[in-house]
Amino acid sequence: MTATEPRVEQPAAPQGHLLELENVNAYYGNIRALRGVSLYVDKGEVVTLIGSNGAGKSTTLRTISGVLKPRTGQVRLDGLRIDALPAHEIVKLGVAQAPEGRRIFSRMSVYENLLMGAFSRRGEKLDDDIARVFDLFPRLLERRTQQAGTMSGGEQQMLAMGRALMARPSILLLDEPSMGLSPILTEQIFDIITEINGQGTTVLLVEQNALMALNVAHRGYVLQTGKIILTDTAANLAANEQVRQAYLGEI
Amino acid sequence: MNDTMLGRFYRRAAGLGLLGTLGAVYVALIGIVERFEPRNIVTGYLTLGLLTAALVVFVTAYRATEPPHSWGIGPPPRQHVLGAGVLAAVIGAAGVALFLVLNRALPLDAVLVNANDRMSEILGLGLEFPAGALALLGAGLAFGVAAGGLRLLAPRFRGPLIAAVVAVMLVSLMEPFMRVVLLQLGQNAISGFFYQSGGLTVPGAIIVAGAVLAIGLANSLRGEAVRERVAEMPADQRRGIQIALFVVGIVFLLVLPQLIGSFLSEVVGTVGLYILMGLGLNIVVGYAGLLDLGYVAFFAIGAYATAILTSPVSVLGWGLSFWVAIPIVMLIAALSGLIIGAPVLRLRGDYLAIVTLGIGEIVRILLLSDALRPWTGGAQGILQVPPPEFADIDFFQPQNLYYPILAFVVLGAFVAISLANSRVGRAWNAMREDEDVAAATGINITNYKLLAFSLGAVFGCIAGAFLAVKLGSIFPHNLNLLVSITVLSLIILGGMGSIPGVIVGAFVLVGLPELLREFAEYRLLIYGAVLIVMMLWRPEGLIPSAQRKRELREHEDDEDQWAHQTGVPTAMPAVERPGP
Repeated sequence: MTATEPRVEQPAAPQGHLLELENVNAYYGNIRALRGVSLYVDKGEVVTLIGSNGAGKSTTLRTISGVLKPRTGQVRLDGLRIDALPAHEIVKLGVAQAPEGRRIFSRMSVYENLLMGAFSRRGEKLDDDIARVFDLFPRLLERRTQQAGTMSGGEQQMLAMGRALMARPSILLLDEPSMGLSPILTEQIFDIITEINGQGTTVLLVEQNALMALNVAHRGYVLQTGKIILTDTAANLAANEQVRQAYLGEI
Repeated sequence: MNDTMLGRFYRRAAGLGLLGTLGAVYVALIGIVERFEPRNIVTGYLTLGLLTAALVVFVTAYRATEPPHSWGIGPPPRQHVLGAGVLAAVIGAAGVALFLVLNRALPLDAVLVNANDRMSEILGLGLEFPAGALALLGAGLAFGVAAGGLRLLAPRFRGPLIAAVVAVMLVSLMEPFMRVVLLQLGQNAISGFFYQSGGLTVPGAIIVAGAVLAIGLANSLRGEAVRERVAEMPADQRRGIQIALFVVGIVFLLVLPQLIGSFLSEVVGTVGLYILMGLGLNIVVGYAGLLDLGYVAFFAIGAYATAILTSPVSVLGWGLSFWVAIPIVMLIAALSGLIIGAPVLRLRGDYLAIVTLGIGEIVRILLLSDALRPWTGGAQGILQVPPPEFADIDFFQPQNLYYPILAFVVLGAFVAISLANSRVGRAWNAMREDEDVAAATGINITNYKLLAFSLGAVFGCIAGAFLAVKLGSIFPHNLNLLVSITVLSLIILGGMGSIPGVIVGAFVLVGLPELLREFAEYRLLIYGAVLIVMMLWRPEGLIPSAQRKRELREHEDDEDQWAHQTGVPTAMPAVERPGP
């Protein structure tokens, strides 16, 4: 299995980070969900954000994609502040997301879902992108005209990722892609994440399945109750005693 | 089917029979039976009054003949289908007979004003007391056998048969309309042959039923082959047929007002206004999924803007021509859509519905208010709204005003269809399904919501402009909550997101009540009943859009599949999503 071989080489970061969060505090009403989160993702990397339920992983992604506005702190994409921009503007700048729980447009066909993914790219030719998605996910080609909501969970996850790729993102945010999938399917999905990254897309991956996530990632952050408590290369995190106990199911 | 299920099936039939009794007695007690009695369906044999009560019993008996889908047991043996139908219908009829006995024994009419002798006579099939009540039992038996028999018929025969019976009722109810048309065509002989004293004659009824039955049978037996043949035709030939049908349709629409005369043109004009509003609200509710219960606000704004701009006695006193005023009204409409839309954009679902409901009321009360009296004239409204001017045509005549309304309806339908299939339509579609994800795929939710609101407002305001012109004046009391409810109901009835649905819905909910003046008193009751029945039996509407059909049926399909896989009967019917 080539996809899950840990990578040791890390591409040198060019000037500045592709995505950077600096001291971000975000709230749901009065509940403080993120406490001074700072992290960065460099071009070409797969970075994973691991942590238990309610640690604030999805909230971090929602803050990046603009669905949730941080109360204080900055989110920067290529040095440009995006934390005040509306969600649809952030998509245009190259941040696409496959949200938690898939959330495909279940009453549209697979093909229509993919078209919606490219909504921000008005008037561009999409044939190449569609071909690329079908190449990555041959299952979707078979199901092209099928109503998306009637597909299996794994196929829906593929569609959610394919839809996000249609925006030709410079960074792809994946929220729990393994949720509710069988181990075999999970492995497939992670292989594809590696492949997508190999084609040049930067990935920020949020996962509860820390073992798999650390296998495909270059670096990782550990989030606990809204705070980053640990960051290191994926290999080091996977070897870290604390991480092993808390997230890798070892006693 | 085992004994337990069989017992359950018969108990359900008995329950439905009681429900039939309650329904029939209810329509009698609220006075429908007596009020509808003068209207003949088949003159000399059947009146609408008795038919209403009888239909309630028959429909419940027919329902009793089939176990609900969710029991997962398929059709019961034939004798039990008949048995359940007879049981339900006899219980239903016996209950009515018991009611007649009670009505005779007790002074019910002291409390229930409609429980008089006349009602008893109608319910007793026109016979004297004991005979009538006994005859009801016989009628119940006949109904039960008919209901069971109908269920046992193969669907390809059942459909046309039901269609034939419904057609007789409809053609009979359309009598005022049909008689005028035939009169205009100089066909008094035909009119006299088919219609007599407001209902169909016996030979007329037989011919109508026979014709519909023949067409229905031809369609269900040979229709597939014909459709295949059409599908196999070369493209240009098929195109030719389409164009021919289109031309026939256009010619029909153009000559219609000349055929139907002044009163019916007026009715069709009103229907046209509601089609326009339906198209507009359909954009807001059907496409964008924003439940707006205050749509009357735009109707009012359009009507008052037109009146103020065109009436010489308004505060402005400009007396503009209608054609000059209408673009200004459309502009005002779009702006008002933005203004009303902007504050409610953050709200979703139920909250949006409540707030828009409030806005509709606010607009009406503002129109009545002292503050705006110099502009709106308060309760006195604005008078002397002139009709449009074009050549020497007198647009005060409903037959002539029909044409500009038709033009705007056609234009509106064209705009609505184009929008549905455009990038904008896709964005609305995505927004309706999942707002957050739609935003995350790059859709500017705010703009698309405002666009939907504004476009809806333009449609509503054009309808309002025509209302002002049609009435020649405008008053606040024309513009109440009922308008919003009617427009929403016709969309739901026709099928959300469906344009043919809007047109059919408008004719059914706005056109029919105009023809059936007896109904006026019970209009809201009938609306309510129609909507409940639609939601239960055909939630996707009469002519659903393909998209909606999928949305509303998918849950049922899921549940059925699950039930079949696990062999567990699902006790509850599929739960539908509460509104868009």
